[in-house]
Amino acid sequence: MSNQTFHTVDRRKIIFSIILIFFAVSVFQLFKMQILEQVTYVEKSSENSVRKITLKPPRGIFFDRNFQILVSNKPSYSLQIIPANYNNAITPMLEKVLNVNEGYINNILEKKSGYSRYLPRRIKRGIDFNVVTWIEENREFLPGVEYVVEMQRDYSFGINGAHVFGYTREINRSQLEKYKGIYSLGDYIGIKGIEKTYETYLRGVKGYRLVIVNSEQKIIGSFEDGKKDKQPLKGFDLVLTLDWETQKKAEQLFKNKSGSLVALNPKNGEILAFVSAPQYDISKFSTVISKDFIQQLRNDPRKPLFNRATTSIYPPGSTLKMLVALIGLESGIINRYSTVNCKGGYQYGNRFFRCHGVHGITNVEKAIEHSCNTFFYKLILDIGLDKFANVARQFGFGKKTGVDLSEEAKGIVPDSKYYNKVYGKNKWSRGNLLSLGIGQGEFSVTTLQLAQYTALLANNGKTVQPHIVRGYLTRDVQELIPFEFKEINVPVDEEKLQIVKRGMYKVVNGEGTAKNIKLPDIKIAGKTGTSQNPHGKDHALFVAFAPYDDPQIAVAVMVENVGFGSSHAAPIAQKIIQTYLKSEHENKLQEALSLK
Amino acid sequence: MFQKIEDRFDLSLFIAVILLTGIGLVAIYSSTYNHPTASGNFTKQVYWVIFSLIAFFLFYFLPHKSFRYLSAYFYAGSLLMLIGVIVFGKVVYGAKSWVSLGPVGFQPSEFAKIGLILFLAYWLSYKRRNINNVKDVGVALLIGFVPVALILMQPDLGTAIVFALITFVMIFWAGLNLFAFFVVVSPAVVVFVSLFGLTALIITLILIILALIFFKRDLFTSITIFVYNLASAFIFDYLVKYLKPHQQKRIETFINPYADPLGAGYNALQAKVAIGSGGLFGKGFMQGSQTQLRFIPEQWTDFIFCVIGEEFGFWGSIITLALFFIIFLRILNIVNSVKDHYSRLVLIGILTMIFVHFSINIGMNLGITPVIGLPLPFISYGGSSLLVNMASMGLVMNIYKNRRLYT
Repeated sequence: MSNQTFHTVDRRKIIFSIILIFFAVSVFQLFKMQILEQVTYVEKSSENSVRKITLKPPRGIFFDRNFQILVSNKPSYSLQIIPANYNNAITPMLEKVLNVNEGYINNILEKKSGYSRYLPRRIKRGIDFNVVTWIEENREFLPGVEYVVEMQRDYSFGINGAHVFGYTREINRSQLEKYKGIYSLGDYIGIKGIEKTYETYLRGVKGYRLVIVNSEQKIIGSFEDGKKDKQPLKGFDLVLTLDWETQKKAEQLFKNKSGSLVALNPKNGEILAFVSAPQYDISKFSTVISKDFIQQLRNDPRKPLFNRATTSIYPPGSTLKMLVALIGLESGIINRYSTVNCKGGYQYGNRFFRCHGVHGITNVEKAIEHSCNTFFYKLILDIGLDKFANVARQFGFGKKTGVDLSEEAKGIVPDSKYYNKVYGKNKWSRGNLLSLGIGQGEFSVTTLQLAQYTALLANNGKTVQPHIVRGYLTRDVQELIPFEFKEINVPVDEEKLQIVKRGMYKVVNGEGTAKNIKLPDIKIAGKTGTSQNPHGKDHALFVAFAPYDDPQIAVAVMVENVGFGSSHAAPIAQKIIQTYLKSEHENKLQEALSLK
Repeated sequence: MFQKIEDRFDLSLFIAVILLTGIGLVAIYSSTYNHPTASGNFTKQVYWVIFSLIAFFLFYFLPHKSFRYLSAYFYAGSLLMLIGVIVFGKVVYGAKSWVSLGPVGFQPSEFAKIGLILFLAYWLSYKRRNINNVKDVGVALLIGFVPVALILMQPDLGTAIVFALITFVMIFWAGLNLFAFFVVVSPAVVVFVSLFGLTALIITLILIILALIFFKRDLFTSITIFVYNLASAFIFDYLVKYLKPHQQKRIETFINPYADPLGAGYNALQAKVAIGSGGLFGKGFMQGSQTQLRFIPEQWTDFIFCVIGEEFGFWGSIITLALFFIIFLRILNIVNSVKDHYSRLVLIGILTMIFVHFSINIGMNLGITPVIGLPLPFISYGGSSLLVNMASMGLVMNIYKNRRLYT
């Protein structure tokens, strides 16, 4: 029994051992935490107390070719809700103050559920100053409601340019997934137009401010006196190729019309004016949050969201005749003296293809001047389908131009492969070809393609891929760094092209179909066209370049559902040419003056 | 002259205590200076230090025999105060453990520790009781568990554990044999292990069966012991359901601190972060971000060791631990030199009291024991605790002074 009793010495040893073991464990744990794992804990400790506040950079702004502002930024108030602190009971009151429909707030909160409840959700942009004052006065009754100053687009510079500029929208879930690390909830991202194409230039680089917070997340002060803060870098400003005056004029001319216009500098592919009408009011996009506005535009029967200059395709009508003529001349099928006797149409098999007049003995120049169908019916039969299609493609038809806007249609250049596919092998006749000779039938183009084609004619087969942005400005010295665009070279015989251009000159300056737009001081060369429209009234077309001797501008105009080109489309082109040449002249004058 | 003082006054023990108190003041100053509501705590604690030193010397100079004679009164007074606090006390942190005496609040359970130690020592040393007798051990356990029960009613789990352990260790010291010790301690082990799940419990129960075979007692005794071990596990499980939710959470959190990093595990995690990030030399006085930015609530009380760990690093922590080590060694040493059985039991009781506070507090700060709210002796902010610890040090010193006497 006694051997099972502890002696005093044993008991002391046991107690001493327990104390010693505890000290050993403690010292080991201290060593492990403070020496071996110190780095991990230091990291955790600074994560704890240092908070990163993201500083959003302003988006780059847009200048026209002469550095006139087209689109800028302006500060505005946005209302945000932090769901973690928000009390749903105040929703009806808030909706009333914001002047929005019932359910508006819940709708947004629901759409953005699933993100951290501590991240603010933007409810409305561009709120009234009265609302800001109201929030300020009632802060204690509005938990989780706050306003912030944000930059929004300022479109008050006279140009609407809806289809050029495009718009930005709050980033959606899938984009957030895709661009993790670059964007965060509530960021804006370019959706259409150059806002989309040049998103990487425009968005800038986010900065941050490091602040020290206590355990209640209250900001106590800046971290290391802000030495490690990073200022946001503003997005690059873009210099566009648009000319403010010309663009403004073009937008005015298309008021209450449907159609499109593209004006290019034929020498370098710079787009001087770009209109798709009807437009939507782009300024509404600067404050919009919900998709309702876009939905409303989508449902508009006039289709204002649709970019008619790049995505609407239609037969080019008689504007295609220069191409047919040029192929004929280049391939030696005709020369400038070859004639056709137009008796009001052309008999092909048992079908009579009509001309819109009786032109009598007609050479190629006169055929363009008067837009004689008979001449081209015969010529296209001699050229043949596939040769025609090949050259048409060289002139940019049937494929995307690669313009720096977000959407573009290819158009259609039919060849035998195409007809075999559509009608079946041998189930189509060369009769289909006759329509193509006068730009009707399946051949379809966009206004942008027509403008590019006109530029190629004007500049003897040489131009640059059409584009709307010249380059960006460096942040420091505002140096213009130009973007590179592909050169286009179509091998043409200049002498033979000159015959075609001569015909175009006479369209305006001779007895041609657009003599109504003849100007005393500017030599315009052009060509009317009527695009047959099975669904309604024909579309009026006009392509032109000027001045005839040294082309500075090539323009393509399409007006929907108005009929013949000379009375509706040609005057628009004329005014655009006039405006641009005058504006360019004045700018050069000013430049010369300022150099002195 | 110096030799003479050394003989009557354990200077190294006293210096260790004073240094720890000083470290405590520094840590309290650092953690409360910028605090909106606790910035007055440093000054209050300075007054308490002065007051406690007076108590220290009072206990040091009191006649040696007076403690023995007064032990029963101490104990009875303690029980009365513990009952009083349940009836009249105010609720702080979910427990009724405080009573107000004018402007000063104090915790009767702190003073009851001395009452228990003195009375249990008195009872165990009375006419050389046979502690291996079932009746005697039963009474000893009863003396300990009456205050434990009263404290559990507050409820204050941490302090109850201190009382239980003081009782166990003093009974053990009184000469309990191995089998009896096994009988007394095994249910506590079973209860503790049951926190870690069924597997751990089953393994422990198998070990108990093996131990019972080793002791070679008759079948009836063995089965009885096994059954009450098993029962204690079930009763404990049942009792856990009656714990305050924050206490249940703390137990869960101890088992898996990362399960709820912002809830109950928050303090434990932040404490580790504070200490770990201190590194070798610490971030410097008043420079600890965890401390100064108040990531650990009420850091000047139970989590004060984090302040030392964060701002003074590994060396600061080691020095603090070393000072405690000196105190424990000195007391054990004095136990050796004391002739009188009663005094030895008192010393062991005080040693247990301080060591249990110390080990549970350091353990939870370092994340090796559950978060049980016990202050770190001499260092944590709090008047009652400091006063009682200083007074008991005065008592230790008194026994040292009179170590050669038999009573």
